Amino acid sequence: MRAYRALLRKDMLLELRGRELVPAMLAFVLGALLLVRFGLGGETQAGGTRAATGLLWVVVVFTSLLALVRSFAQEREHGIWDGILSAPIDRAAIWAARSTATIAFLVITQAVALPLFWLFFLQDGRSPSLWVLACALLLADLGVAMLGSLLAGLASQVQAREVLLPVLFLPFAVPLVTVAVRVTVNTISPQTSGFSTFEGLGFLALYDTIFGLLGWALFEYVVED
Amino acid sequence: MAATAAAALMALALALIFFYVPNDADQGYSQRIFYFHVPIAITTYCLFGWGAVNAARYLWKRDPSLDLKSYVPMHLGVIFGSLTLVTGSIWANISWGTWWFWGDTQLTTFLIIFLFNCAYFMLRFSVEAGERRATYSAVYALLGVGLIPLSVLGVRFAQSNELIHPITFNSNGANMDGSMFLTFLVALSAMLTLAVTMYLVELRGKRIDDRLRTIRRLAEGRA
Amino acid sequence: MSSPEPALVVCRGLVRRFGERAALDGVSLELAAGETLLLTGGNGAGKTTLLRVLATVLRPHAGAVSVAGHELPRQARAVRPLIGYVGHEPLVYPSLTALENLELYASLHGRSAESCRPALAMVGLERRRNDRAADLSRGMRQRLALARAWLHQPALLLLDEPTAGLDGEGRELLNGMLDEHRGAALVATHEPDRFAGRELRLRDGRVAA
Repeated sequence: MRAYRALLRKDMLLELRGRELVPAMLAFVLGALLLVRFGLGGETQAGGTRAATGLLWVVVVFTSLLALVRSFAQEREHGIWDGILSAPIDRAAIWAARSTATIAFLVITQAVALPLFWLFFLQDGRSPSLWVLACALLLADLGVAMLGSLLAGLASQVQAREVLLPVLFLPFAVPLVTVAVRVTVNTISPQTSGFSTFEGLGFLALYDTIFGLLGWALFEYVVED
Repeated sequence: MAATAAAALMALALALIFFYVPNDADQGYSQRIFYFHVPIAITTYCLFGWGAVNAARYLWKRDPSLDLKSYVPMHLGVIFGSLTLVTGSIWANISWGTWWFWGDTQLTTFLIIFLFNCAYFMLRFSVEAGERRATYSAVYALLGVGLIPLSVLGVRFAQSNELIHPITFNSNGANMDGSMFLTFLVALSAMLTLAVTMYLVELRGKRIDDRLRTIRRLAEGRA
Repeated sequence: MSSPEPALVVCRGLVRRFGERAALDGVSLELAAGETLLLTGGNGAGKTTLLRVLATVLRPHAGAVSVAGHELPRQARAVRPLIGYVGHEPLVYPSLTALENLELYASLHGRSAESCRPALAMVGLERRRNDRAADLSRGMRQRLALARAWLHQPALLLLDEPTAGLDGEGRELLNGMLDEHRGAALVATHEPDRFAGRELRLRDGRVAA
């Protein structure tokens, strides 16, 4: 716990000093949403809402990749791993601290992305239930950050890490996005078919639990040499 | 040994499929692809399972031969996985009139698994051979154990009322008559034996490769 | 073996490979609790690898290694509180200040922030404690690295070419630190004359005769 707090404080301080992630993520999310808006050609009615929602989630996933690729960048570039790894701490604490930092960056980005999404695609009266959408995003962030920190640890020791990390991550994003889009669309225009928002959120929570446990258990193997 | 058994079972399975089993009531002659598609799909899952079990054993014991025993089933899994996609697609075209149907849970799940597998090989090829590559591969393989059930659940869940994949087994047991079930069992065991044979052959090949490399290294050291 | 006090570090036939090349190819050594051992040998002899194995960041591939009776790699957790490691890199975050870096390591070692003061004082960095590590000169960063390895009073100091970048005053500080240090030290160096202690020469991953 003590190590977790110290490492998290370090990650936050580094971001405050370096400002290399959050501004880039914000710029990326703005650009990507604009691109989606023009790509859809203003088609926001009926089928358009579903397409826009799907693309919103794709943008969320790609934005998080930005944060994940830079995970452990300082440790790698300045050769600090040996210092952290020879300290008497539970190595899962390194993973937990990094996941928490990633969640924080994702939440900040999404706090900007959501109003933009509403502004670009949903203005004409229909809006999703904010609570449901916030819950879905938070649960998704949790899963992405926990799984992503583990994969970032894997990729960080590899030459072509910027290319490899998305390849490693995307298969895992498929079930996440599939369900998250269903949940989101359902809150914008509720469907009568037997789809339950709670079950959808439950699925996301299950996803978090599984990859939380796997990440916690496997991170040690990723960083050792 | 295993090779002979595989050949005999495969011949028996082919004979049963084409000459013994009656035509399906709805789908006619072409339904026979079922006896290839489903056993291949089940074999693929088994291969992944075995790969993951050995991955976990590797992390526990650190024995390099377990790394090979994890890698080889994953590799064969790609071959059987591609065959599943191809036979599934053919069957889809025959019975639904389309090569690919996104609403179908199993087909889509298989695609995710296929994607996962490609990523596994990308990872393996980007790390230099050695302990680190073995560890990374094992970790990623174990993540797949989390991914597969989640994909099945997630895809099924998101498309709850569009389910059209034929359900062959339900809680009452097999949904087919005796001769069909027999043929299916023979085909399944033939596929599994074939996979085991390929596994043993490839494993032996890899071991010979390793030994050759060691010998070459020693020879170079001597020279 | 027959020494009355059990050795702090015991290596028997230690092997560590990178890919197919063995960086350590059967190294055996013993280090008593208060002893200083100087590791010498040309580039690529295996000095750094040996230190990193003892620092628990590299797993040994064969042979037996133990520190204070704890076997590596199985009991690495019990070993980590006992070691202070200075590597080629200073192992500090460039965009954090000297003090912040030390505080981070202090809390990783379960020490209070107070323990950073004496460590900073010892290496003469008190006045520059609020400068970012990136703004420190190479020698200053090396001093910071020494303070980092020292602050939890380790029983075993592992120093990899600790004089790199240090000026005359820095070298004196280093020698003072080693004198004051009550535990054992393993120092990889190209200048064994500068330190007091037994010398052990490595060549091609083995102990040279």
